[in-house]
Amino acid sequence: MNAEMLYALRDPAGVPSHPLVFLLLGVLTFALHIAAVQVMLGASALVLRGAFSDQLHWRRLATTMLNTAKIAVSVAIVIGVAPLLFVQVLYDPFWYTSNVLSARWVIGFILLLIAGYIAMYGFYWRNPQLATKPARSRWMMMLSLALLLLVGWIMHVLSYQMLWPEQWQQWYAPQGRIDASGSGLHAYSVARFGFFIALSAPVAGAWLVAVRRYLQGAGEGDAAYLAFLARLARRLMLLGGVLSLAIGALWLLTLPEKMAFFASSPWMLAALVLLLVAVALPTLLGDRLERGLWGYGVFGVGAVALIAVAAAREMLRYTLLSGVYGYDALDYKTNMDWYSTLTFFITFGVLGSVTLGYLLAVAWQSGQHRSAVYTPSLAVTRFGRWSVGLLVVWIAHYFLIGFYTMVR
Amino acid sequence: MVGIIATVHVLFSHTSVGAAIFFAGLAVYADRNDKPEYLEFIRRYGMFLLVFSYVLGSITGPGIWFSTTVASPRGISALIHSFVWKWATEWVFFVIEVVGVYMLVYLAGKIDRKTHLRIAVIFGLTSYTTMLVIIGILSFMMWPGQERWFAEGGYLNGFYGVNTFAQLGMRTAFMFTMTAVVGGIVAARFDDPVFKKAVTTRLSWLGIVSTSAGAAMLQWYLGTLPETAQVVMANRLPDRFAPTLLAVLAAIGAYFAITMWKPRLLTPAVASVATVVLLVFGLWPEEVARESMRKPFVAGQYVYSNQIIARDVPGMGITSEIPRIEAHGLLKTQVFTPPGLREITPDNRLQAGQFLALSTCSNCHSLSSTGMRPLARYFGGNTDVAEISQYLQAALSTGATIYMPRIPLQDDEAQALATYIASLAPPKAAARPAPPAPKLAVAAQGITQP
Repeated sequence: MNAEMLYALRDPAGVPSHPLVFLLLGVLTFALHIAAVQVMLGASALVLRGAFSDQLHWRRLATTMLNTAKIAVSVAIVIGVAPLLFVQVLYDPFWYTSNVLSARWVIGFILLLIAGYIAMYGFYWRNPQLATKPARSRWMMMLSLALLLLVGWIMHVLSYQMLWPEQWQQWYAPQGRIDASGSGLHAYSVARFGFFIALSAPVAGAWLVAVRRYLQGAGEGDAAYLAFLARLARRLMLLGGVLSLAIGALWLLTLPEKMAFFASSPWMLAALVLLLVAVALPTLLGDRLERGLWGYGVFGVGAVALIAVAAAREMLRYTLLSGVYGYDALDYKTNMDWYSTLTFFITFGVLGSVTLGYLLAVAWQSGQHRSAVYTPSLAVTRFGRWSVGLLVVWIAHYFLIGFYTMVR
Repeated sequence: MVGIIATVHVLFSHTSVGAAIFFAGLAVYADRNDKPEYLEFIRRYGMFLLVFSYVLGSITGPGIWFSTTVASPRGISALIHSFVWKWATEWVFFVIEVVGVYMLVYLAGKIDRKTHLRIAVIFGLTSYTTMLVIIGILSFMMWPGQERWFAEGGYLNGFYGVNTFAQLGMRTAFMFTMTAVVGGIVAARFDDPVFKKAVTTRLSWLGIVSTSAGAAMLQWYLGTLPETAQVVMANRLPDRFAPTLLAVLAAIGAYFAITMWKPRLLTPAVASVATVVLLVFGLWPEEVARESMRKPFVAGQYVYSNQIIARDVPGMGITSEIPRIEAHGLLKTQVFTPPGLREITPDNRLQAGQFLALSTCSNCHSLSSTGMRPLARYFGGNTDVAEISQYLQAALSTGATIYMPRIPLQDDEAQALATYIASLAPPKAAARPAPPAPKLAVAAQGITQP
């Protein structure tokens, strides 16, 4: 598959803004998505650990983490829409080919994800009092976690197959005989997949540090539970962090020849250093975790480290495809469309910030007022009014610009 | 598969939006009449009706992407490359929705009622904006909003057309029908008979009015279809289509009339079954019709269902691939043609035919004896390669067949494809002398059916 063929597979409509914008948004949104996935996997694993334990603290944690996992599944799915969108914009020849070559798995992805989600809900419905009563139908949670890992594996393979254009023809027609079944998963890297999955442990640890700080702020009286959380979070961050970095090193050491440049890439090295800082942060901060926003800062630094990992991952793809195959994602034909570009950025920056800011402020503060019905301050309520107003304005603009287009 | 996933997606997403509107109304009632106990309903049933259905809707939404990616990669690519920013904008609303949906359920009774109501309003408005966005993209998939889009390009010209607003009106009405149906599931559980009757009556009226409005909007929508779609509908949709649609509308009306007349008949089981039945039977015909009407195109009236760019779009710098295929043949212009099949020989003719069938027919026709529109069925067991080849070149190469894309086959390609099609004939038919080919002749006026 030479460069000419790859370019022939590109969409002739071009892209409505400079390709770099989509590339950067792809990195940012992938980092957010993978963070949600890792919280989901980490929380699910903690639910299982708690479901098999008789200790009260573990059972209480399992209850909390079950709610976290349920929400994280939906957040991961919703946020995942964005990187899925942007990969199709810039890397359509690669993404679509990879998908068609494994078509059955692509459809299976949806069905397996639904099954995993329903299994998690099944466990939730079977255990309304998980904190105090023995866990029932633990197999549901095990099944859920297994299916979530499986869909992660499918997504890994689809992304990885993109990087092997020279093999596509062979996968499509092995020995010249067409195999249109789409039943194969053709290329994978266990170490690469393992690295992203193993990161769930330190991410879950950072999440627990934040949960603990949140409980402190809400006046949690069970000091032993807080101490349990602190111990567990540190262990997850340190051991999980070391394990992740070890698997990451293994990935770099076993890179195929054409990707060997990535082992010494400053992007990947910077990402690993940032990960190291993030996992060591709770130890470095010590007692400061008890005060101010430090407890939340660990997850924040972790998120920055994940953005660096996402950037490194993108650099691997971009550099490989442009260097080895001559496909430069940044020379995509641009059919600049200012209206839709500005609509997105204004919606994202203004409406999104105000509305999400309002919702998260209410969610946060109500959680900190556990004993009484929470009434937001006037300042917060004002944001709520603006949110409704901005949504109404957005809808009005939609119709106005539509009618203008119709009569123009 | 695309149709099934799309139907399931609309089932869950509409359930979620319908529930959100109903719960917002219930929250208003609870606030105005000082009835905090009704917030308990939001908490109790919100987890299933709102959250569960919302998440399944949000899985099957990208699921439509996934299924269309494998069924029609260039079709979905065309939509994505024209509307990436609109989809990204919708994503912002998705993120607001997912936060809002959990707050609506988890914070019911834990925050003051006005704030809860405001969150319900935000969720409802946000859900509606996602519909506003996707409607324009779906409309473009059928026809670019303005004819000038072909000459000028531009997002607005592609997005907005009379069809966009007709479809929006239809789906908005249907959304309120969903609110009425889903609301019934919760209302069925109210213990207070007076309140239950009051809510049921309101829901029934909402259902009757919205269904009637939806039926009117459907007429409007059908009136906005271009002539080609009218011809396709008249020729390709089964005779039972219109009566089925009318029966579904009548059934929805009857359901609401009955629940208004005898609210006690409204049980959770009845309401739940009604929700699923009405949605599936109401949605499936629409999905089928939408898939058929735009043929032979799959997106924007320039991408054929077999993934070939079939029309110049100067406004976007897009050029038709047909002239190049006409000049060089499909096998030499398709990127994925196996190297051994680029030149047809007696030894590889069958295989080349299989590749041609896979690349030009299989998007719409199953190559086995089962599945969607099996290819072999259209040739009635004919095994005469020359006849089939003649038909392919007469009817398809010229683009003279309604509903079918123009497939400019070279002589040897037509022969290869015919050889493969002949090989699909069931053994019994293959053993018989080849029957005349009554279906293969091109009608005098140049239009025939495959």
